Amino acid sequence: MSSPVTVWRHHKNIRNYLRKKGKILVWTKVFNAPAGFEHEAPYFVAIVKFEDGTKMPLQLVECEEKDLKPNRKIITVVRKRGKVSLDEVIEYGIKAKPI
Amino acid sequence: MKIKVKGIGLTKFGELWNKNLLDLALEASLEAINDARITNNDIDAVYVGNMLIGKIAGQDHLGPVITSSLGLNCASFRIEGACASGGLAVHLAIQGILAGTYKNVLVVGAEKMTDAPSSQITWALMGASSSQERKAGLTFPALYALLAQAHIQKYKTTREELAQVSVKNHFHASLNNKAQYPFEISVEKVLNSSAISYPITLFDSSPISDGAGAVVLSSDTDSKGVYITGSAASSDTIDLAQRESLTELKATKLAAKSALAQAGMEISDIKVAEVHDCFTIAEILAMEDLGFCQKGMGGKFVTSRCTRLGGRCPVNTSGGLKACGHPVGATGVKQIIEITEQLRKTSGKRQVRNANCGLTQNVGGTGATVVVHVLQT
Repeated sequence: MSSPVTVWRHHKNIRNYLRKKGKILVWTKVFNAPAGFEHEAPYFVAIVKFEDGTKMPLQLVECEEKDLKPNRKIITVVRKRGKVSLDEVIEYGIKAKPI
Repeated sequence: MKIKVKGIGLTKFGELWNKNLLDLALEASLEAINDARITNNDIDAVYVGNMLIGKIAGQDHLGPVITSSLGLNCASFRIEGACASGGLAVHLAIQGILAGTYKNVLVVGAEKMTDAPSSQITWALMGASSSQERKAGLTFPALYALLAQAHIQKYKTTREELAQVSVKNHFHASLNNKAQYPFEISVEKVLNSSAISYPITLFDSSPISDGAGAVVLSSDTDSKGVYITGSAASSDTIDLAQRESLTELKATKLAAKSALAQAGMEISDIKVAEVHDCFTIAEILAMEDLGFCQKGMGGKFVTSRCTRLGGRCPVNTSGGLKACGHPVGATGVKQIIEITEQLRKTSGKRQVRNANCGLTQNVGGTGATVVVHVLQT
């Protein structure tokens, strides 16, 4: 669980990564998820390379395994991150979906 | 450089429910001090390699925990470098001796992991990764799965070749009574075990373990024995995505080059090695980055049996992290102990013939820290 101030600080950075385009370099399917991600398993994570040359590990959403290949194009999207209880702050983060 | 490995001590690795961290650390330490034929009071400093105890049991300030239990008032340090904590502790202890500050130092690597649920251990280990990797839902098996995928894509390495690492190391562990899993397994068993993070399966992965190892290092060079003649540590980006390449660990190359140069050796001089096979892909990368084989040929090299007992250069005769076990803070020290036993010719059924020069490679995270040591008789 992240503290409210950590979530607030993190959310301020989201705009810098909105609608960035890039491609998948490598991907994996995570079956054994860490705490906070159990409800999403199995899920896909990739290292993506953006058009500006920067690279980042991102969770992939709205995709199927057959769609995932090296050089597959992606675009970043904002999605809820992890699972919180009713009295915790919902955290959003950048993920990527194939296009 | 010539630092004597004066004494060694190692506990069994595994799920040791009747022992806590201090029990394990003291068992290994007293064995090492006894093996060195010195007394506790001859120790000038204690270096403790440990990663997790502060997170999972709330015990920080580990140095004095060990020294006070040994009845010592000497300098003590806790060294944390993720899974390379043990190797880093050995490296820093050597610097203390080379500086002339200490004559005899005790290095203890210890970890107690099985008291905590696996989800807590997974979370605690991810402290060795970047914040962005944690936010993406990555785990260490997943990070190494990405490295495996990159190797498969570029060099057509197969899952069967990855599995051969596990098969070999389980065979070696079957000859080691200190190993957590002293039994053999097949390629099919590895391939058909539970998926952890594609293409990494359960039997591609090292286990959660308890255990400790200790060595007494000394500036004493007036007698025969095993000596560390090269010691180097290197680092790389903590975030895997920021690396120049996903098919090599640059820090391994840099540390190996430096350690071998210090020892005046070539990789072809190495007769036995202990490398960091936290996942099967890690040993394949180690073979290539240390220079045992060409880049991209690691899978075929392992399959060729060159690194199996009886081969040209046996690797992970202890069983490695995969089958001997991986109590993370202890691993780097255990590697030094295994090579020391090989060079002393006291390894019993897993003795490598003509072993007179060995190497260890200990990795923290996904290669953000790497420590390499060269040992000779």
